[in-house]
Amino acid sequence: MEKFSNEAKVGILVVISIILLGYMAMRVGKFSFTKEAGYTLVVYFDSVAGLALDVPVEIAGVEVGRVRNIALEANRAMVTLMMRPDIQLTKDAKAIIRTKGILGDKYVELIPGSDAAPLIEPGGRITQTIPTTDIDSLLNVLGSVAQDIKSLSQSLSNVLGGEEGERSMRQIVDNVQEMAQTLNDIVQKNNEDISTIVGNFTIFSERLKEIGNANTDDIRSIVDNVRKASEHLETLITGLHEITVKVNEGKGSIGQLINDDQTVKNLNEALASLKGVTEKINKGEGSIGKLVNDDQTVDNLNDALTGINDYIKKQDTYRTFLDYRGEYLFGSEEAKSYLSLRIQPREDKYYLLQVVDDPRGKKSTTEYTRTLDGVTSHEQIVEIEKDELKFSAQISKRYYDIAFRGGLFESTGGVGVDYYMYNDRLTFSLEAFDFDADTNPHLKFKADYTPFQHIYLTAGFDDFISEEGDESFFIGAGISFSDEDIKTLLFNVPIPK
Amino acid sequence: MIYFLELAGRPIKLFVEESGKIVLLFLSALTWLVRPPLRLRLIAKQMEFVGVQSLSVVMITAAFAGMVLALQTYYGFRMFGGESLVGATVALSLTRELGPVFTALMVTGRAGSAMAAELGTMKVTEQVDALYTMSVNPVQYLIVPRILAAVLMVPILTILADFIGIVGGYFVGVHLLGINSGIFMARIVEFVEMDDITNGLIKSAFFGLILSLIGTFKGFYTTGGAEGVGKATTEAVVYASVSILISDYILTALMF
Amino acid sequence: MIRLEQVSKAFKGQIVLDHLDLEIEKGKITVIIGQSGGGKSVLLKHMIGLIRPDSGHIYVNGIDIVSLDDKKLNDIRKKFGMLFQAAALFDSMNVGENVAFPLIEHTRLPRKEIMKIAEEKLLRVGLKNVSHKMPSELSGGMRKRVGLARAIALDPEIILFDEPTTGLDPVMCDAIDRLIVETQKQTEATCVIISHDIPSTFKIANKIAMLYQGKIIEMGTPDEVRSSTNPVVQNFIEGKST
Repeated sequence: MEKFSNEAKVGILVVISIILLGYMAMRVGKFSFTKEAGYTLVVYFDSVAGLALDVPVEIAGVEVGRVRNIALEANRAMVTLMMRPDIQLTKDAKAIIRTKGILGDKYVELIPGSDAAPLIEPGGRITQTIPTTDIDSLLNVLGSVAQDIKSLSQSLSNVLGGEEGERSMRQIVDNVQEMAQTLNDIVQKNNEDISTIVGNFTIFSERLKEIGNANTDDIRSIVDNVRKASEHLETLITGLHEITVKVNEGKGSIGQLINDDQTVKNLNEALASLKGVTEKINKGEGSIGKLVNDDQTVDNLNDALTGINDYIKKQDTYRTFLDYRGEYLFGSEEAKSYLSLRIQPREDKYYLLQVVDDPRGKKSTTEYTRTLDGVTSHEQIVEIEKDELKFSAQISKRYYDIAFRGGLFESTGGVGVDYYMYNDRLTFSLEAFDFDADTNPHLKFKADYTPFQHIYLTAGFDDFISEEGDESFFIGAGISFSDEDIKTLLFNVPIPK
Repeated sequence: MIYFLELAGRPIKLFVEESGKIVLLFLSALTWLVRPPLRLRLIAKQMEFVGVQSLSVVMITAAFAGMVLALQTYYGFRMFGGESLVGATVALSLTRELGPVFTALMVTGRAGSAMAAELGTMKVTEQVDALYTMSVNPVQYLIVPRILAAVLMVPILTILADFIGIVGGYFVGVHLLGINSGIFMARIVEFVEMDDITNGLIKSAFFGLILSLIGTFKGFYTTGGAEGVGKATTEAVVYASVSILISDYILTALMF
Repeated sequence: MIRLEQVSKAFKGQIVLDHLDLEIEKGKITVIIGQSGGGKSVLLKHMIGLIRPDSGHIYVNGIDIVSLDDKKLNDIRKKFGMLFQAAALFDSMNVGENVAFPLIEHTRLPRKEIMKIAEEKLLRVGLKNVSHKMPSELSGGMRKRVGLARAIALDPEIILFDEPTTGLDPVMCDAIDRLIVETQKQTEATCVIISHDIPSTFKIANKIAMLYQGKIIEMGTPDEVRSSTNPVVQNFIEGKST
């Protein structure tokens, strides 16, 4: 161990532990991305009893998101789901609250619909839910059923049980027997009456027959009337027939129109020219034809449409930020300020243009060694070019929570790395630039914290391995506006009329 | 009567005075922290002392803490068939509580006491005065690197302790008690959140601050020769340990 | 060079310095004598701002250091070198690093240059090839030499000595005394020495001041002090207990 310096030993320890932390974070926090990436869906349940925030949303047992919010809306539970961005659901998907494990943890299970159905847009709603088979309510129903059965059997046993019950039972049987006997007696006694009733029925039917015979004439006359009416109908039809014949022969104006050859010819010509036009278009003659028939045109059109689509999409992610930050350097007791323009074509990439006003300027040190009367003395001449403004131009690419930057840092080449935490509200950055051969590179470590929109606080160490004593702790603050903010600002400013 | 009041009042007065001094020392350390030069070499040396040299003791403690936790919870959970939760319980206890606290206590015993002893010796042999006469502020030269090292290294050690402890729990749970390894890990992944780990680390940074602040404070205000140094060292360990446990409760109540 | 006016200091109600006036002349060796526990060390520590007086003024080169803030006080302290009673070498550094310490802190010289100067200062106090040794390996006399080398590392205008010969054998005492005189001659620094070693005091002092009960009761050249009419002074220099 002797050959390792303290710095090296500490470094090894730190690196190992950071790797372990990263490993644990990856194992444990594998869904932490839901905080940054993903989209929300809303689903309404009648009851979400036992459902907690941040519990998993699963499809076929695979976690695809988390429950982000539970709220009451119109007496129903509105549950907001944060879904993994790569999961797409169709509109006929169903949601159900299920129970997992012996401890009865609730989670949301989604049952995907058919592939043919349209997709749910981010922020949309899953309309179908399956009522929860709540074990509690199930047990409640089962309990009451059991109660009913119990009381029924109780009263039954009350009625049937004991000597009294037996006696009354025997009584009932006796009564029934008696009743059947009586019924038999009645039927036998009234045998005659029943014969009379049947006789009456026979007479009634005979009378009905007589009535029918008496009205035969009336029915005949009705049939005659119907026949006459049909004769009139025949005359009408004949008349109609005559009219059509006349039309056919070209008599009357309609007849003329239809029967004139000229008209037909005209019509034919019109149709022919129409045909010609379509043929021409088909063959690609004339400008419309060319337009329609040229594949190029179609491609162009397609491209144009795609382009417009892309443009509209890009407009969503393409953002510009204007940012000003000031840092107070404790070392030189002066303030350093930055004005920057950040152009962000995509979420994970931006270009930075920056003007830096550094009170320390650029320092150059010249050292003289003089020997006078055997005494060696040293003299240092420090020249400070207070050229005030320095420029930065950087490109940054982000991978998950880590972004790398490179380019021009305060008018010198450099690189930087940023680590984003807590929804990008906290950013740690390490920059290295000014790789002068004579001096140590300029290293800067800073942490930016954004407590409110637009405003952030910063603190860190600047130039902390400086050999010229420029190392300094700093604190500061900054404001940042996106193009959107500026637009809103501009449009909302009252214009004097 | 007055005698009894005085008897009760003296420790309270002493406590208030000491607290005030510690806060003042902390503020002074903060101001000297931001004033250049930042003594990277001294910080590295202290980080090596606090971190690297405490590594073995912290790892042994953590490993056995994880192992005994697995053993104990296994017997408890077996009563209702919840053996699969052993891993999660071990991991949660370690990341949230035992990792930070055990690490801090071990570092207190090793490094906190050494800080008090070292600074105490320097104080009684006028080395602290010598620093003043050479226009070097002892708070900046002696105290800031120690506090910074502890605040940075205790969380680092805690990460290792968390990990080693879980590995120890895994060894006992899976290899000795026969819990299915897949379920053991799955339950850990299921129940442990990143917040559990980060909050534990935030706590451990506070513990690092407490132990180094009390250690350096006791050393820095040592009087009375070799005997004073011994007293300062003992007090530093006792006060720091108690403060760590008390602040652990407060921080836990605030965070979880 | 250094002037104390009406300086008072009390520790827990016990008065150590009582409206004390004292003037240290530039380029001279001034020895302050007095009883053990009589506040000599306290007086010395006042001069470099290690202890602040309860009242009174302390002027170094005409600047009142009592009211200075830390930053300006540190600038003043760079003019001083101080040799502590037990040398107060840093245990964690070897001899070379101890001597180099003020140079590393207050100059921007390259490390090689600094180590060369440290060797040179060690040579000046009569030490050779000890750079790599740790303070715990040295004898008391050698430690004092290293302490002196460290005190003169920045070529100070004023050197303070806190009982430089206490706890040393007579031969070593003599060597240290000679070293002090030699160093003073070479550097032309103002030296303030506190001592209760009467023979060595008369050997090296240009001026002697006697501290008694918080006040300077006698001040003058060795001959003047020797012929002092004050019985306390006479008893002290003759080693009589009263």
